[in-house]
Amino acid sequence: MPDVHSLVNDFVIKLKKRKIEGSKATAKQTVELLRSFISQQRLPNSNQAAALIEAVRAVGENLIAANPVELAVGNVVRRVLHIIREEDLSLATAAVGGISLADESDDDDFEQDDHPVLSATAVAAAARSSLRPPSLQTLLEDAPHAAAAPHPSSSGGDSEGKSKSADKNSVTRKLKHNVIEAVNELVQEISTCHEQIAEQAVEHIHQNEVILTLGSSRTVMEFLFAAKEKKRTFRVFVAEGAPRYQGHALAKELAARGLQTTVITDSAVFAMISRVNMVIVGAHAVMANGGVIAPVGLNMVALAAQRHAVPFVVLAGVHKLCPQYPHNPEVLLNELKSPSELLDFGEFSDCLDFASGSGSPLLHVVNPAFDYVPPNLVSLFITDTGGHNPSYMYRLIADYYSADDVVVKRKSAS
Amino acid sequence: MWRRSASFILEKRQLQQQQQQQGDTVTNADSRPLSPSSTAMAAENPNPKISLYYQTRAAHHGVVTSDWLDQSKAAAGGHPDGAVSENYVSGGEDDRKGFSVVDEFNNWRKQPDLAEAVAAIRSLASVIRSSQATTMMELEIELKKAADSLKSWDTTSISLTAGCDLFMRYVTRTSALEYEDFNSAKSRLMERADKFGDISYKARRIIASLGQDFVFDGCTILVHGFSRVVFEILRTAAQSKKLFRVFCTEGRPDRTGLRLANELAKLDVPVKLLIDSAVAYSMDDVDMVFVGADGVVESGGIINMMGTYQIALVAKSMNKPVYCAAESYKFARLYPLDQKDMEPALRPIDFGVPIPSMVEVETSARDYTPPQYLTLLFTDLGVLTPSVVSDELIQLYL
Repeated sequence: MPDVHSLVNDFVIKLKKRKIEGSKATAKQTVELLRSFISQQRLPNSNQAAALIEAVRAVGENLIAANPVELAVGNVVRRVLHIIREEDLSLATAAVGGISLADESDDDDFEQDDHPVLSATAVAAAARSSLRPPSLQTLLEDAPHAAAAPHPSSSGGDSEGKSKSADKNSVTRKLKHNVIEAVNELVQEISTCHEQIAEQAVEHIHQNEVILTLGSSRTVMEFLFAAKEKKRTFRVFVAEGAPRYQGHALAKELAARGLQTTVITDSAVFAMISRVNMVIVGAHAVMANGGVIAPVGLNMVALAAQRHAVPFVVLAGVHKLCPQYPHNPEVLLNELKSPSELLDFGEFSDCLDFASGSGSPLLHVVNPAFDYVPPNLVSLFITDTGGHNPSYMYRLIADYYSADDVVVKRKSAS
Repeated sequence: MWRRSASFILEKRQLQQQQQQQGDTVTNADSRPLSPSSTAMAAENPNPKISLYYQTRAAHHGVVTSDWLDQSKAAAGGHPDGAVSENYVSGGEDDRKGFSVVDEFNNWRKQPDLAEAVAAIRSLASVIRSSQATTMMELEIELKKAADSLKSWDTTSISLTAGCDLFMRYVTRTSALEYEDFNSAKSRLMERADKFGDISYKARRIIASLGQDFVFDGCTILVHGFSRVVFEILRTAAQSKKLFRVFCTEGRPDRTGLRLANELAKLDVPVKLLIDSAVAYSMDDVDMVFVGADGVVESGGIINMMGTYQIALVAKSMNKPVYCAAESYKFARLYPLDQKDMEPALRPIDFGVPIPSMVEVETSARDYTPPQYLTLLFTDLGVLTPSVVSDELIQLYL
């Protein structure tokens, strides 16, 4: 146990010091940490899922608080919570299915008293309704499952009720195993999301097209490579992405792969956009309304693209999908980076000097890391599950996260 | 150069002639120039010139002009019994107990705290209660008839229609009902219907807690008209110690904005009243617009009190978010293509001075705001983009 705690603490410190770069790396490390946390977590006999959820949530809160700007952490925590809920549900429904293991779990009979009243169907239904996002359909029928639970149990549950709660007990031993299995899949998913996205490249990039991108994103690079490998010839304009100039590195990589590449300054985007067929960029996070938190400068590119009716395509792995709304994105979800990326301290030290004059420096440097691109400027999202409209994001979110986690997290963590 | 033809003059003249004819031949009913459906309407609704929906709203919201008071008194007094029972007989129902769903509905509707859809569903529940059907099929048919007569009683109330549809859907859809014996199914239906009041109340609470997240310290909110949900959001935000101010439009002609301003002032929220035409003038200071909705249509647009559309247009042109708060049972299967593509809800407007008979008055009470002018919808299903509405409706009805 102390072993895991020290791991968690290490990771928290890393997050706080911004030692981990990029949402993919963060997401991957988070999920691996959570995996080892879950595997070492000792669970009580009853109500395992709830205990596990509580434990994961506590850790998750810490992680989120360590770096609230890195939304991927929160997303992964929510995904893991959702996985636990889902596994719990599938076990419960399996129990209803009547895979009777009653004999071997007789020794645990004392535990039966804890929840004998609820019939298996009611448990399953309640769990399902908590997993499923609320809909018009369930508006009227939602409560009856809880209210009318005694009804069905009296009809069919007599024989089943007993075997079930015993059954459930043995079945929950499998819970941890199943959860870890599913978390492994999540790790796999996060590490292969590049390839999944890149596979779709040929559908979007056509012969002799001109693509514009800003800064550098690993996903975008792989995407372009994939199209190149499929023998597409196209040109890429790379806006250099001040102040970190990651675009330079991207341009170098692209040229090394034999792609026609042109480097332009960020300020030249509007001048060049009329020659561009498609803008393809990466994202930092995708919000629930379809808005994008993206590297700084992208809002300008998006506006330029809209002005010239150029499709603005955002590539994002599902771990970037954040179930929150940007209430006030410019203020809350941004981060100010070191001014040394902009200005050389030696040259400007005179005006930045606190000691001179009135005490406060006359020259300020602000170096925000992110932009918010509103959903109406985005033409298409390409995730590992395919292309989606910004207004469709809510459905993906409903698939990947359960509604409870979103709300609880938001209350406790932000 | 393209010019609009002066056909509207012609049309008006024809209309006047028709009305004259109607006045002449009002005694011999079969030669009426009106279409059969509209005559049926006239028989049911005592005063087709006025939207019943807005009558009750005005009664609930307390700010009532003298003209209105007379109307609603008249409505509460004489009509319902006479008109309704007549309708009921003509509908082929045997009112053996003198029971009428419309009466029931009107009773429920008078309660100021009850949402329209709740009233509708409760009155359908009382249909079940008094029904002597012995099979599910019979009950369904009876319910269907009752729902239809309710809908045609007040065609202007969208949430009435939506509520009826939702309940009917529940009756036909719920698989649990098929396996139960008839009596327990019946009692379950009634129980659900009675619970619907709670559901609606809970929905309002959910919306309030979702919506208040969007209110941030120091923001200015423009609100149009009086909506219980919007008020609930603002109250929740005020209770959680958020500092914000509210601009209320006056909300002519029933001046519901005055009531909202009143209520907010009681909560110590800074309020400023605007006349309806000052919206664009003050939009600069506004951070977000909150509106309620009479109904949310399939396109994701909303139908709401007159003036919502122009506020949304102004907000859009100044890049301000427009948030609409509406319970999910207000989602209606309508797809208005433009403003005139709805059953008009008319209500009298008191201008304070006599209007010459030559002058026409636009008495429509509501307008349609297309989805592209709405930023988000706050519903009990969560915070939704307008395009989700059709998704939900399709899931339910297809």
